This record gives sequence, C-alpha cells and structure tokens, in this order.
Amino acid sequence: MKEQSNIVDGLGEKLSEIAGDLFYLGPEVTLAITIILVLVYDLLFKDKKEVGIFSIGFVGLVFALVISSFINAGTPFGGMFSLNMWNLTIKFLLILGGVLMLIMASRDQKNINRFGKSGELMIASLTVIMGASLMSSSTNLLMIYVAIELTSIGSYILTGIVRGRKRSEAALKYVLFGGVSSAIMIYGMSWLYGFTGTLNISDPTFFSGLSNVPILPLSIALVMTIGGFLFKLSAFPLHIWSPDVYQAAPTPVVALFSFVPKVAAIALLIQFVGAINTIDFDWQLWLGIVAIASMTVGNFSALWQKNAKRMMAYSSIAHAGFLLVGVIAFSESGNLALLFYAAVYLLMNYGAFLLISYFEKQTGSANINKLRGIGLDVPWLGVLVVIVMIALTGLPPTAGFNAKLLIFSSIWESWQGSGAQVLLWVFIIGLLNTVVALFYYLRIPYYLFFKRPEKEIDKAKLTSIDIVWGTIFVIPLLVLFFKSDWLVDFLNNINFVL
Amino acid sequence: MIQGILSYIIFLPLIAAAVVLCLPKRLESSYRIVTVVATGLTLLLTIIAVYSFDGGIAENINSEENLQLLEKSEWFSLDLGSLGSFSVDYFLAVDGISIPMLLLASIVLFIGAISSWNIRQKKKGYFALYLLLSGSVLGCFVALDFFLFYLFFEFMLLPMYFLIGIWGGPRKEYAAIKFFIYTLIGSILILIVMIGLYNSVYDPVRTGAEIGVTSIEQVQTMVQSGEVAREDIIKSFNMIYMADQANYIPGSLLSQMSGGEIIGKSARWIAFLALLIGFAIKLPSFPFHTWLPDAHVEAPTPISVVLAGILLKIGGYGLIRTAFSFFPDSAFHYSWMIGFFGVFSILYGALNALAQKDIKKLIAYSSVSHMGFVLLGLAAMTVEGISGAIYQMFSHGLITSMLFLIAGVLYDRTQDRLIENYGGLANRLPRFTIVVGIAFFASLGLPGFSGFIAELMVFLGAFKSSAVIGAIPQWMPVVATIGLILGAGYYLWTLQRMFMGKYWVKKAEWTERLKDLNSREYLMLVPLAVLVFWFGIFPDTLMSLINSSVEGFTDLLNQAIR
Repeated sequence: MKEQSNIVDGLGEKLSEIAGDLFYLGPEVTLAITIILVLVYDLLFKDKKEVGIFSIGFVGLVFALVISSFINAGTPFGGMFSLNMWNLTIKFLLILGGVLMLIMASRDQKNINRFGKSGELMIASLTVIMGASLMSSSTNLLMIYVAIELTSIGSYILTGIVRGRKRSEAALKYVLFGGVSSAIMIYGMSWLYGFTGTLNISDPTFFSGLSNVPILPLSIALVMTIGGFLFKLSAFPLHIWSPDVYQAAPTPVVALFSFVPKVAAIALLIQFVGAINTIDFDWQLWLGIVAIASMTVGNFSALWQKNAKRMMAYSSIAHAGFLLVGVIAFSESGNLALLFYAAVYLLMNYGAFLLISYFEKQTGSANINKLRGIGLDVPWLGVLVVIVMIALTGLPPTAGFNAKLLIFSSIWESWQGSGAQVLLWVFIIGLLNTVVALFYYLRIPYYLFFKRPEKEIDKAKLTSIDIVWGTIFVIPLLVLFFKSDWLVDFLNNINFVL
Repeated sequence: MIQGILSYIIFLPLIAAAVVLCLPKRLESSYRIVTVVATGLTLLLTIIAVYSFDGGIAENINSEENLQLLEKSEWFSLDLGSLGSFSVDYFLAVDGISIPMLLLASIVLFIGAISSWNIRQKKKGYFALYLLLSGSVLGCFVALDFFLFYLFFEFMLLPMYFLIGIWGGPRKEYAAIKFFIYTLIGSILILIVMIGLYNSVYDPVRTGAEIGVTSIEQVQTMVQSGEVAREDIIKSFNMIYMADQANYIPGSLLSQMSGGEIIGKSARWIAFLALLIGFAIKLPSFPFHTWLPDAHVEAPTPISVVLAGILLKIGGYGLIRTAFSFFPDSAFHYSWMIGFFGVFSILYGALNALAQKDIKKLIAYSSVSHMGFVLLGLAAMTVEGISGAIYQMFSHGLITSMLFLIAGVLYDRTQDRLIENYGGLANRLPRFTIVVGIAFFASLGLPGFSGFIAELMVFLGAFKSSAVIGAIPQWMPVVATIGLILGAGYYLWTLQRMFMGKYWVKKAEWTERLKDLNSREYLMLVPLAVLVFWFGIFPDTLMSLINSSVEGFTDLLNQAIR
C-alpha cells in the first residue's frame, strides 16, 4: 500500500509538472486545437465550407506563430524536448511556412476548392507543421520517431488526397519509401537504446554509453538512424521519392513540403550531431559526403527536367545539401548562417512556387516549354521570376547570395580551425555547383523571354492582386541583400521572452 | 569639385534605367534619348572627376592616402559571436589604376548608347538593361570593397545575358548562356578566394575602435602579437586593407606569415591561381577565351562594343587590383606562367584571326591577341610593363570599339559579315574606307596611334624585366613580336581583300544599300579616331594620371619579393 501511494504521490507531482510544461509546447497545442476545430467544423457544415476552414486554419496558425515567439528556453517534459533560442526561431519559421502556404493556396480557385471540399487537406497540412515543429526540438528518440511519423503520415495524405492516377502512384511510392526508411531508422534507434540504456540523447549516459561501443556497430546504428532524418530532408541517397511527389501534389502543398519537413530535419540533425559530436564516429565525413552528393546529384538531375515542379524538386534536393553544409560547419556562426539560409530559403522557395502556380493557372500545366514568351506579355511577372531564380542560384543582388556567403564562410572557418579535408571539398564543390544550378534555373527565364509564344495567352486570368502578392513574396529577396543585418537582427530578436 | 561624384557616376545610369521603366509605351522614342543623355552626363561627370584628379600623389598602393574622391560609409555589419564580426562598406574611390578605366568606360558607354539608336524591337527592355549594365560596369571600376566589387562584377552578367540573348544574332541563345556560364565559373573562383580573404583580413581602424587604440600601426602590432581577443577583431572586405600584409589575422590561412597550406601547396599560391583564372576568363586569355568569339559575333553591335571595349578590361583591372595586390609573392612565383600565357594568347589569337572568314570574328580574335599584351606587361612586373598593360587596356578599348562599330556599319547595310563577299569597297565607300584604315592601322600598332605607345611600353617593360626584377625571361617579348607581324598580316590582308581592287559584292541588291557613313556614324567614329590619335601623340595625358600609382604598385611588388 505504502509503495502504491508513493507512486501516486510521484504521479501527482509529475502531472502538475507536465501541466506546467505544457506552455512550452504552446504552438503545437494550438495547432492540435485548430485541427480539432477544423474537424468539428467540417462535420457540422455541409456546403461552402472553404471560408470557415481557411479562416480557422489561418487564425490557428497565426496564433501559433505569435505564441512561438513568447516561449522561454528550457527542457520541458523531463528532457523530452530541448528548447533554445535557435530552434525556437526555427519553429517560428516553420509555422510561418504554414501561414504563407495558406496565403498561396488562397490565390488559386482550384486550390481553394480542394481545401474547402473537406477539412482533410487542412488537417493534414496542420499535422505536418505540428509534427515538424515537434521534430525541431525533440531530444528523445521515441519523441523524434513520433514527430517524424506525424510529419510523414500527414505528407502521405497530402500527396494522395487529390484523386488521379499519377498522384496515387506518387503517394504509394512515398508511403513505401517512408515506411522502409522509418523502419530502418527505428531499428537503428533500438540499437542506440541497447548501447546506452537511455532514449534521451541529451542525457550524459547516452554519450558515455556510445563512447564504449566498438566503431562498427556504432556506425551501423548511427547511419541507420541518421538515414531516417535524411529521408525527411530528402537528401541523397534518400531523395528518390521527391520528384514524383512534387510533381503530383498541389503546388502550395509542394511549397510546404520543400520547406517545413526539411528545415525541421535540419534542426533535428543539429541536436543529434551535438549529442554524438566527440565520439569516434566521424559524422562530419559522412554528412559531408551526403552534402556533396546531394548538391551535385540534385543539380545535375535538374538539368534534364521539363516540368517546373519536378525541377524544383531536384533544386530542393540540392538545397538540402546546402543546408547540410551549415550542419557540418558545426559552429556558432554555422548555426546563424543556417537560420539565415532557412529564412531566405523560405522566401525564395515560396516565391518560386507561387510564381509557378500563376503559370499553372495561365497555361494549365507546369511544363517549362509552355511558358514561351509569357515574360514579354507580362514583363513584371517575368522580372519577378528572374529575381527568384537568381536568388535560388545564389547570385547577387539577392539575399540568396548572402545566405550562400554566410553558410560557406562558416564552413571555411570550421575548416581553418580543424583542417579536416572533407570540409574543404564541401566548400569548393558546393560553390562550383552554383554554375550547374545557374544553367537550369535560367531555363525558366529563358523560355519566358527568349522563345516566341506559340499562341496568345489569356492574360485575364492573372489579377493585379496576384501580381501584388508575387511582389510581396519576392521583393524581400532584394531588400535583404542590401540590408542583411535586418534579417539577422530580426532572427536574433524573434523571442520576446518576458 | 562635386561631393560624392563617384556615386553620381554610378547611380545616374541606374536612375535613368528606372526612368525608362516608368515611361509609358507611347513615349517609346524617348527611351534612347534618356539613355544617351544619361550616359552623356556620366561622361561629363567622369571628365570632371579626371580633371580634379591629382596625378602627383605618390603613396603606396595599399594605403588610403593614395586614394582620391573617396567615399566610405558602413553598409552593413554582422556579428558572428565568438568568431568576431565582419563589416561591409560602401567604399568608392579612384587611384591611378582605376581612373583611366573609369574614363574609358564612360566614353565607350556613351558611344554604345549612340550606337543603340536604331534598336527597333522591345526598346524599353533594351535601354533599361543597357543602363543597368552601364551602372554596374562603372561601379566595378570604383568599388574598393570586395563585396561591393563582387556585386557589380556579378550583376553585369545578368543584363549582358539578356542583351545578347534577346537582341542578338542567329545563335544568340547559345552565345548568351555560354558567356554566362563561363564568366560565372570565373566569378565562383573569385568568390571562393573572397570568402577566404575576408576571413583572414581585419579592419585595423574598426578593431582599434573596439579595443580603444587609435594608431593603426599600434593596432597592427597588437593583432600580430596576438594581444587582441578573437571576438574583438572585425573582419573586413576592404580591398586596400587586403593589400597590406600587416592586416592579415595571424594564423589565418592566407596570411603570409602563417604559411597555410591547401593540399600540400601554399594557400596563397592556390588563392592567387584561383583569382588569376577567374579574371583570365574575363580578360580572356588562352585557354579560357572560347566564349568570346561566340558572344562577340552574336551580340548586337552596341553590346559587342561594350563587351570588347570595357568588360574585357575588368579582367585586367581585377588582376591588378586583387590578385597582384593581395598576393604579390605568388604573382612573382607564377610570373613565368602568366607571361607564357600572355605570349601564347598573342600568337594564338593572331593566328586565329588570320584564319577567320567573318570580320566580327576576326576582330574578336584580335582582342584575344591584344589582351595577351596586358598579361605580358603584368607578368614583367616593371613600371613600364604595368603602365603599358594599363595603357594597352585603355587604347584597346577605344580601338576595338571602333572596329566593332565598323563591322556594325557593314552589317546594318547588308546583314552579312563575310570578308569574301566584298571586294573593292573603297571605290563605293571612300570615307568609310578611311575610317577603317585608321582603325586597322591603330590596331596593328602603327606609330602615331595609341596602340603603338601601349605595345612599346609593354615590350620595354618585358625586356627590362629579367634584369630589374627577374620575373620573365627575355625570349618572351622576342617571341611576342611575331604577334605584331601577324597583326599587320591579318589587317592588311583584310583591307586588301575587302576594300582594294575592283568593286564587287556578292549580291547585286547590296549595291544600292551600301551608302557611305551617315552623320550618326560619324558622331561615333570620328571622336574615337581623334582620341586614338591624341593618345598616340600625347601619351602624357594618360601617363600623368597612371604613373605615380603604378610606381606605388611596383614598390609593393618589390617589397614582397625581397
């Protein structure tokens, strides 16, 4: 009896601790409530649901965004999560990615219908964002697994929910790939648990446990675990699913895919490599090879793409490599560069997908050779495309250049400090990849301006509000080139901790 | 003397570009007027700047006292935590090396604007892009912060890409992307070095402010002896600081003292090579020249003029300003190779020119040949050699602009550029023939023209080199003289085939279209011809601007070698 009361006593304490810690998960809780609200609304109403669903989703996301900037750093739920200024900023960007996705979706009647028909699309999107947000801060292997699965399952639904043969095929591929990679990942995690006896990667026993393991089983376990993260990052060699998925899914959803899970996976990787940094396993070498391969394979494969969304899929594989560069640098300036890169990447990728969705609206498909001569008819749109593509390539005068400069500077510094050869190769090959990237990014402006239009396009479909939104998405890329300290200050001061 | 004159020079074309974009379509004919007025005003401002430039200031190239018309204010700075911080400046100034380039750029851009007069399609885009290009080209020559320089250097590629790709000849798309990709490879190499450099160089003034020391020398000694904490060091993109070895953070990879290595080779050598290749692509030197004939041939006439007249010079200017100034020891180490590629380019370009059937291609290859002299002069590392290289860039800019305008005159009338399709044009177009004669003789280096002075100085410097500094052997200038003979060969041969003998053209209908020069063409060609004469007869006009800076520059080289 006495023993049981002890447990109950402890339980009471634990419960109040958990309830107290709940505020740390404010954004996720907000999103969960929003999901329930959408669900209930969806059940109660029959027709014309789009306004309700959109506004609930939008308000929920904005609310989560606001809450995310009022959270303290800490390790709530007994070390299940580790929140610091850095990943709180990442969280802010992730949720911002969700807000911008809704704005993008609301620019196209087809997408409004898709979202409005039933609550599923909205719920799945919110789930992805919630999972990603959890992923970016978890330090417990089990929590990491749950967060990754939450993100993945939401993504599978988003890919397959709009009917169509292509889409079903892509969704099925995605599910199979995802299933296999998460099985491998959890197998790796089970090894890690076996080695250390703890699931908490920030626990000192986790580190000391791993230090005693021979290199071969340790490498196998770590490679399997990190493989699961790389799947979410869609880095080489776990990138094969992404082109099909990107081509099939609705464009705003693709924009979400290209940013939210990726950046969350990067945040997770930062936490994870921080936990395993000084043990025998040379993670910088492995991730360095992955980064080089992602950049090179992504860029070279993009050269042959005829569909803009498919091309962007390969581009996002290459950008996964660039994001990895910041992880490999593993320094304070590397983390700052990553934040900067992530913020700029958000702007340029969403800008690119917004403009692609305009072209889809005009020409009915995302095929690049359907874009002939549009730039001459709608010059402002063409100029916006040029700016976005130059930013994605990483050339001045766009913030894409500053992002590249910062991220590659951090790897140079790390190399200067440690002298590890792989860092030098990441640095050189990464920068030379820009040349390859230019070639395919310029293809869209090339068709827009250099080719003669085949037939008159219907200009009426594009309203001036569309153009204004395009401008709002794109102009920051120019402004932040000239004033990158604004973005850095903003990112450093996002948290108004009281 | 106008305050902030260099900013006006850069921003005037950019503002004009915005004006062109805002003007409604019914005022289409006014775009070209805006362009000509803007570039004209820029030229006027540049002449004022040149006039107020004092050529007598003889300071070291790596001190700010050497600079004139200086404008410097902080652009942005980023705090990188424990690794210190870095700052980027809006830093413009001229010295004896950049002022001739600035003058040349203004002249050629003005001529190019006049030459754009009869662009017929998509005028708004054309003139806006032309003005954007003008602003960034001018900015490139006066920016002394590496970040700012790189911005201008990269940004000119984009307008150029569209100008060639939309308004060019039959293979324009191919030429445009080839130009862009080639130059981008060069810029990436430069970017790699730029990242390495700003991580190795600190700003002594700002670092001094951080630790409360005002004397620059004292800050430098303190940093070199490791008394300054890492987070107090403020890194810098300043190109003047980069040229002073005392401003390198001790232990950083590119510092001369630390002897850093990359894959077993001196890091400074590798960095120098990367800069050398980066700018040699732009120059262009053999074996990186293959983009040039395509781009020149396909580009519309005004763009060819700007491309050959100014853009190539950025390659030479960049070599002097960055590679040679930052890594003088490595420059000396590789001087033999640079000289060799210079000589090879001279001969290879000339032999290629001899074989061309298309007159524009001939001129393009002659550019490769003439740019070889720039490399040869630089490799010599003597006062005469480097002055000659700068003089050659200036003179070639004027002459080659003339040559491309001439090719444009012919192409405007017949849409054909093949040498073999014409004969005895002197009978039909006597005045045009006189202008062609002047341009050809100037280009082959006849005394009395500016090209002669330039090549003479390069040869003097190259011959002296082995005795004075030991940078390149004597056989190099000897072999390079063959290039002069070949030059005379292809120009005289072309003159003979196209203009001498009995009048004959391939298609009969060309005859009535072949009218002699009109007044607009005179307006472009006559001033250029006068300038080519002027700088051939009174070289001191330009030399007095260049001289003291070049002496400062060679002092820097000599100090580093000893």
